Amino acid sequence: MTSTAAGPGPVLKCIVWDIDNTLLDGIYLESPDQPPQADPELTAVLRELAGRGILQALASRNPPEAAAWVQQATGLEFAAAECGWGSKAESIGRIAAELGLELESFAFVDDDMLERAEVAAALPDVLVLTPEDAAEAPGWPQFSPRVITAEARRRSDLYAERRRRQAAAAAFGGSRDDFLRQAGTRITIGRAALADAPRLHELSVRTHQLNSVGEPIAATELASLISSPGHVVATVTLADNFGDDGLVGAAIMTGKASAVMTAPAIMMSCRALGRGALDALLAWLCRTAASTGATEIQVPCLVTERNVPMRLALAAAGLRAEPGAAAAGGRALFARSVAGELPALAGWVTDRDAP
Amino acid sequence: MSAGPPPAAYDPTTVADQLRELLAEVTGRADLLAIPAETELFAAGVGLDSLAGTLLLRRIKRRYAVDVAAEDLNLDALQTLGTLAEFIAARAARG
Repeated sequence: MTSTAAGPGPVLKCIVWDIDNTLLDGIYLESPDQPPQADPELTAVLRELAGRGILQALASRNPPEAAAWVQQATGLEFAAAECGWGSKAESIGRIAAELGLELESFAFVDDDMLERAEVAAALPDVLVLTPEDAAEAPGWPQFSPRVITAEARRRSDLYAERRRRQAAAAAFGGSRDDFLRQAGTRITIGRAALADAPRLHELSVRTHQLNSVGEPIAATELASLISSPGHVVATVTLADNFGDDGLVGAAIMTGKASAVMTAPAIMMSCRALGRGALDALLAWLCRTAASTGATEIQVPCLVTERNVPMRLALAAAGLRAEPGAAAAGGRALFARSVAGELPALAGWVTDRDAP
Repeated sequence: MSAGPPPAAYDPTTVADQLRELLAEVTGRADLLAIPAETELFAAGVGLDSLAGTLLLRRIKRRYAVDVAAEDLNLDALQTLGTLAEFIAARAARG
């Protein structure tokens, strides 16, 4: 079934557009001397949605030059473009893998009924739309994030930077740490400010692979935790020579001045995957717990197929759970001692709270 | 049903060789093709992080039909190259 209803649902993260007779008023290859102009109505939709932090991508059976033309004609940089003769469902799958996003956060727009049917059948999680549907999309809740943060507004640029970084990393060949050093990685970790609450809420909603909670945390609750003397709310910023990702992660810790400190929430954008930011945050949490006199740190973590990357980071940081402990609500309590040797902060990590 | 090829025999040494190749692939590091079985995967030796670890576990699942993350809450199987090879060999042989 083609799903076109504007019913309630999660806010989408990426829209994949067809080119011929969708974003262009005509067929690219039929007029090579003067390619068709961009459709003005859909161009306005593209810009509006990009401004809300929703990524825009292209899937077309045209040669790659067509994608370059669409970028020029619409004046918008796309986060990903798949051009070729393969199926559109495969193209969308590759875009999802490249951007590190789940298919259920995707919409696909195509004027061709057969293409829509193929994608709807192969990828039932993807919202499939006609260009006419898409023209109305800005009014739908799936395309209307409640909060639009500074990070959201420049999300497309961040993904373009990420593509350049990944290409450099693939060509590098040395260890990850050597690459992070060469790329000029800069991570800062320190106490959150009250103004960070909307961005932290957004992280709690949007992150899955690097999220220990699995549920949104309200901005009002985050604001009260940030002001609470009994809690530590830490934020992580990430930048390198390829670009500045801004605030990518956060953690909440409770139990100040007791023997056990607990981190009930750790969350981080998947843009930070492979860039040392979560390892740095976990090391910082261990060191902060030790500095307040705790001897153990505990991290209750949802155990799902999606957040395996979070569990890998916990394991790498030396946290372990009781085997078989994941039964209760799919959560397990991971813990480690912070009484002895502590994980070190890498040279590119700055503790903003350090005196 | 026609008789397919006999199931491949997995022994830890063979699996360890295959894992070296997977590790080199997911990290882009040719030097990992020559690491000893007792090399720690998380520590300085390989420095496996969330990203490389996730890619490795995905390849393992596809190749051996062994879901390490589902079977091993603490991912202790990833302690060294050798422990991971043994974990996979024991389960792949079963299937």
